[in-house]
Amino acid sequence: MGSNSLTLAPAPRSAAAEEVRAEVREFLAAELAAGSFSTHVDTWLSGVDPAFSRKLGERGWLGMTWPKQYGGHERTAMERYAVTEELLAAGAPVAAHWIADRQSGPNLLRYGTEAQRQEILPRIAAGECYFVIGMSEPDSGSDLASIRTRATRNGDGDWVVNGAKVWTSNAHTSHYAITLVRTSPADPANRHAGLSQLLVDLSLPGITVNPIRILDGGHHFNEVVFEDVVIPGDMLLGEEGAGWHQVTAELAFERSGPERFLSTYPLIAEFARRTAEGQDPAQLAALGRLSSRLLALRQLSLRIAGALDRGELPDIPAALVKDVGTTFEADVIDEVRRVVDVPASLDSPDPLGRALAEAQLHAPGYTLRGGTNEILRGIVARGLGLR
Amino acid sequence: MSDVDLVVETVRDILTKHEPFALTAERSWDAGLWSALAAAGLTGVGLPEEAGGSGGELADAVAIVGALAAGAAAVPVAEQLLVAAPAVLAAGLGLPAPEEPLSVAVDGAVTAEPRDDGDGPGSWTLTGTATDVAWAGVAQHLAVLATSAVGPVLALVDVAGRETTHAANLAGEPRGSFVLQGVTAAGALLTDAQAEQLRARYALARAVQLSAALQQVLAWTVQYAGERQQFGRPLGKFQAIQMELAEMAGEVTAVAALVDAAVQAVERGESLVVAAAAAKVRAGAAVEVVARLAHQVHGAIGFTQEHRLHHLTRRCWSWRDEAGTEAAWARVLGAGLLADGPDALWPALTRVV
Repeated sequence: MGSNSLTLAPAPRSAAAEEVRAEVREFLAAELAAGSFSTHVDTWLSGVDPAFSRKLGERGWLGMTWPKQYGGHERTAMERYAVTEELLAAGAPVAAHWIADRQSGPNLLRYGTEAQRQEILPRIAAGECYFVIGMSEPDSGSDLASIRTRATRNGDGDWVVNGAKVWTSNAHTSHYAITLVRTSPADPANRHAGLSQLLVDLSLPGITVNPIRILDGGHHFNEVVFEDVVIPGDMLLGEEGAGWHQVTAELAFERSGPERFLSTYPLIAEFARRTAEGQDPAQLAALGRLSSRLLALRQLSLRIAGALDRGELPDIPAALVKDVGTTFEADVIDEVRRVVDVPASLDSPDPLGRALAEAQLHAPGYTLRGGTNEILRGIVARGLGLR
Repeated sequence: MSDVDLVVETVRDILTKHEPFALTAERSWDAGLWSALAAAGLTGVGLPEEAGGSGGELADAVAIVGALAAGAAAVPVAEQLLVAAPAVLAAGLGLPAPEEPLSVAVDGAVTAEPRDDGDGPGSWTLTGTATDVAWAGVAQHLAVLATSAVGPVLALVDVAGRETTHAANLAGEPRGSFVLQGVTAAGALLTDAQAEQLRARYALARAVQLSAALQQVLAWTVQYAGERQQFGRPLGKFQAIQMELAEMAGEVTAVAALVDAAVQAVERGESLVVAAAAAKVRAGAAVEVVARLAHQVHGAIGFTQEHRLHHLTRRCWSWRDEAGTEAAWARVLGAGLLADGPDALWPALTRVV
C-alpha cells in the first residue's frame, strides 16, 4: 500500500517540539495550580476564555507557523502540534481562539489581501481576535455546495448579503466569520461554481446571532442571520467564484489536528487515575486498549503535521484520521463505562461521573462537525481509487 | 530504490514461485520456500556476519518479515530473525546456522538447573513442558525461556527430530508442545527485564506480521470490489461497500503508523515493552474489523479454501492472541503507562513512541 494516497512518511522527531511541549506543560501546571481554569471535556468547542487565549498569545503559542511580519513565530507544524495537543490533553479553555488559529489565519495567509493580513493576523496571534466558520446553513449540511446565502454587488461595489448560517460555534463571542456565499446563480452543470468566501465583521448592521443550545444546555452553537448586510467590496477573500476550492483546502486544516481524537482525553485521564488507585485488571486492560488506539492516532496526526511542514496538503489522510479519531472519541465513553461503576451525571460528586456526562452529552458532535464520518469515508474511498 | 525496497523485491520474487497452500499435519510448512530464502541469505538478515548472519539492519529484517506475512508464507522467519536469533546473540550463546530453522518458546513451564556454576553462558538441565511453540516439529533449534532458582534463563535446545504434539493455530501453523525431561542445553541467565523484553520482541514480531497481512487483506478487498460486478456495477461503486472499505483503510493505516513507530522505538533502544505492547494490542484490535469486513465484501467465495483470502484472515485471527494474548498485553500496556503514577498517563503517552 506504500504508493497510495492514504499513507504518509513517518514524522521526523523534533527536539524543538519537545522543548516547547515542556514549556506548555509547565505553564498549564501553574495555571491549574492557580485555579485559572478547571479541566473539562471538549474544551475546544465549549471552553471560551479570552483571558486564557491572550495568555497563550503572549507566550507565542498562537499563529505559531505564520510569518513574523504578521505577528507569527515562524515555527514548525510539529511545534504547533505539540502545543495544541498539550492544551487539549489538559482540557484547557481554548475555544475562543481555536478556529482563528487553526484555519481562519492560515486561510487569510493564503488568500487574504495584504491589508487583511496586516490588520487581522497579528490580533489573532495575540489571542484577541476570534473567528467562526460560515459554511453550514439550515438547508445545507453535508451537501455544502447547495448553500443559498447570496452576495450581490451593489452600485458602490460592495456586497449585499442575505441568508443564514447555522452551527456557528461561538459566533456570540467572535469577531469575524469567513462566510461561504453564492456570488453567481447556481449552475446545475457545475455545482461547485459561483461560490465565494467573504470576510464578514460580525458587528455589522443586519447581522443577528441567535443562540442554539446543545444537549448539555450549553450555548456554543448559533444561527447567524444576514439581512441586507452590506460588506465592503474589499472583504472578498481570495477569488470570486473560487470559494469551493478555498473551502476544500480550509477543511484539510480543519480535519488534521489532534482535536480530532483528544476531545474526550480528560475523561481518559480521570479514568486513568481511577485505574491507578485500584489496579483492577479489567480497568488496566481497558486503559491499555484505549491507549493503543490513541497512540496510533497520534502517530497518524504527527505524520500529517510532518507533511504540512513539507508543504503538502494531505487532505485524504486528514479525512482518514478524523474518521478514525472521532470514532475513538466517542468509543472512550463505552470502554470506560463497561469497567467502572460510576453513573454519568453533570452533578456527580465523582469527577469521573462528571467527565462521563460531559463526554456523553457532547458525543453526537464528534462524528458530525467538520464533515460527517460518512462524507469522510467517501473521501477515503476516493483515496482507495473507488470513486 | 532503498536497501529495504531491494530486500522486499527479492522476497516478492521468491514468493511468486511459492504460492501459499492450506497447511495440514502432513504438510505443515513450506520447506521449498525456506530453502529458497536461505539460499538467498534472507534467513540471516539483520544478524551480524561474524555470527554467521547476512548483516543488515533491523529495518531490513522487519521488511522481510512483513513481505512474507503479506504472502502468507509458511516459514519461521519472524521467529528466527526478529525474536530467537537476536535473543540468542544477546545472551552470548552460539547462533545456529541461519539455514537451520530457529524458533522460540516463551510459554509453558520449563525449569532450568545449572550444571556448572551458572554464572554467564553455561550448561543447564531443562525439565518441563514448552507449550504453544511456533513451528514445533519444523524448527531444528529452539530458544527456550525457562525459569531457575537464580532467575530467567534463555536456553538453546536442539529439537531436530524431537517428538512434539500436533497442535496448530487457526491457519494450521504448527503450535505444538515439547516435553523436556532432563535435557542438557547451553543457556544464559537473563535479568527479569531482559526476559520481559524477549516477550515484547515476540509480540512486536507478531504485530509486524499483522500489520503487513492486514494491508494485504485491504488491497485484495479493494481489488475484488473493483472486479466483482453485481447489479451491473462493480461492488466498489456502491456507497455501502465504500464505507466498509474506508473503515478497513482507517484501521490498517492506524496499525501501520503505530507498528512502524514501535519498530523505530526499538531501533532507538527506547521503551521496548510498552511500545511493543501498544503495537500488538492495536494490531490485534484491527483484526476484528478488517477480517470481518473483508469477508463481508468477498461474499461466499472468501469463506472457502478455493479463494486466497483465508490464508491471511485465519492467520490474523490467531496472531492477535499469540506471543501473549491481546488481553494480557492490554493489561501490560495499561500498567506500564501508569508506572510513574496516577497523573502520569499523558507524559507516558507522549514518550512511548
